Amino acid sequence: MRRRQRAGSVPGTLASALALSIALSSISGSGRAAPPASNVPDSVTRRSGLTLAPMPRAAQLYATNCQGCHGELGSSAAEMPTLAGRVGYFTRIPEGRRYLVQVPNVALNANSDADIAAVLNWLLATYSRAQLPPDFKPYTASEVGELRQARIDVAATRRRVIDALVAAGQVPSADALALPHIVLY
Amino acid sequence: MTPISSTRFDRLIEAFTRGAAQRSSRRGFLSQCGLWLIAASALPLLPVARRAQAGEQPAGKPVRKFASAFANLAQTSDSTRCNYWRYCASDGYLCACCGGGPNTCPPGTSPSPTSWIGSCINPDDGKTYLIAYRDCCGQDSCGRCLCLGQEGDMPSYRPQVNNDIVWCFGASSMVYHCSSAGLVGLAE
Repeated sequence: MRRRQRAGSVPGTLASALALSIALSSISGSGRAAPPASNVPDSVTRRSGLTLAPMPRAAQLYATNCQGCHGELGSSAAEMPTLAGRVGYFTRIPEGRRYLVQVPNVALNANSDADIAAVLNWLLATYSRAQLPPDFKPYTASEVGELRQARIDVAATRRRVIDALVAAGQVPSADALALPHIVLY
Repeated sequence: MTPISSTRFDRLIEAFTRGAAQRSSRRGFLSQCGLWLIAASALPLLPVARRAQAGEQPAGKPVRKFASAFANLAQTSDSTRCNYWRYCASDGYLCACCGGGPNTCPPGTSPSPTSWIGSCINPDDGKTYLIAYRDCCGQDSCGRCLCLGQEGDMPSYRPQVNNDIVWCFGASSMVYHCSSAGLVGLAE
């Protein structure tokens, strides 16, 4: 008896299910239309209300070539040499200025000489402006192109450059550019 | 040849086995068997299996809207699938499938201070975004949702632009758990 009653109300159930599905689809439809189409990469950032300004080209070069290890703010894990508040010291003597271009990941980078010059000038001004010499001249593409031909012994060259900086009185203390001692696991 | 079996069922089996013994050679069987073994092991190498991992093909003609093959098949809503737009260069287990999110580490693991940075096209607005692939470290491999995005990936003799290596440098542990994909910024 009960069963028969239910069977009798099937068209009613169908109608209400249809109404519900129409209501649901209109809700989800309006939800999809609400956020603006640009600057909303996905559901995660849409919820955050974040709007993104395009990164300047030099910052983008830094992000894709350097930031992974050296960090967004120019410092990262102890294994990676800190740029922030330090890297500018190297430009105070010619050998140090050469060293920054001849470091293997700069010299062997796949980008053009002009891009490498741009990213070097950008990171020096962004992370270490206070350490630049008063007469600092930005790197040029031709200078980078010439300097990056050389292949150096990084550790030995770095030691030599830092000794020269200390001897010339260009760094506040002998260990201003020292790398932390890393204890391996 | 007269069958030696007495019952009808036995005779039937005997006829079948004698027939099989007379018609087929052992070498033929071995070669067939070897052929099937090779065919079965080669099947997963066919492009069909890779297409299934890259995500479903939309109905009709394949869309070729963007320069990136990944972006043409990408979606922006489900971060637990390999074709989520940010995973164009993600190589490893998705943190979103391991108790974390697309840019958060699962409990018990910590994000590495270093990351591999790539760029992916968002199919919704067609713009390129920089993505930091940051490994979550400190627990054994998660093992869920293995994705092998290859955009911008270089061979491992260029390790700074290779995503096969574990990027747990500087983390408290070098044990790899999963890969997250955080948004760094909008490219020009």
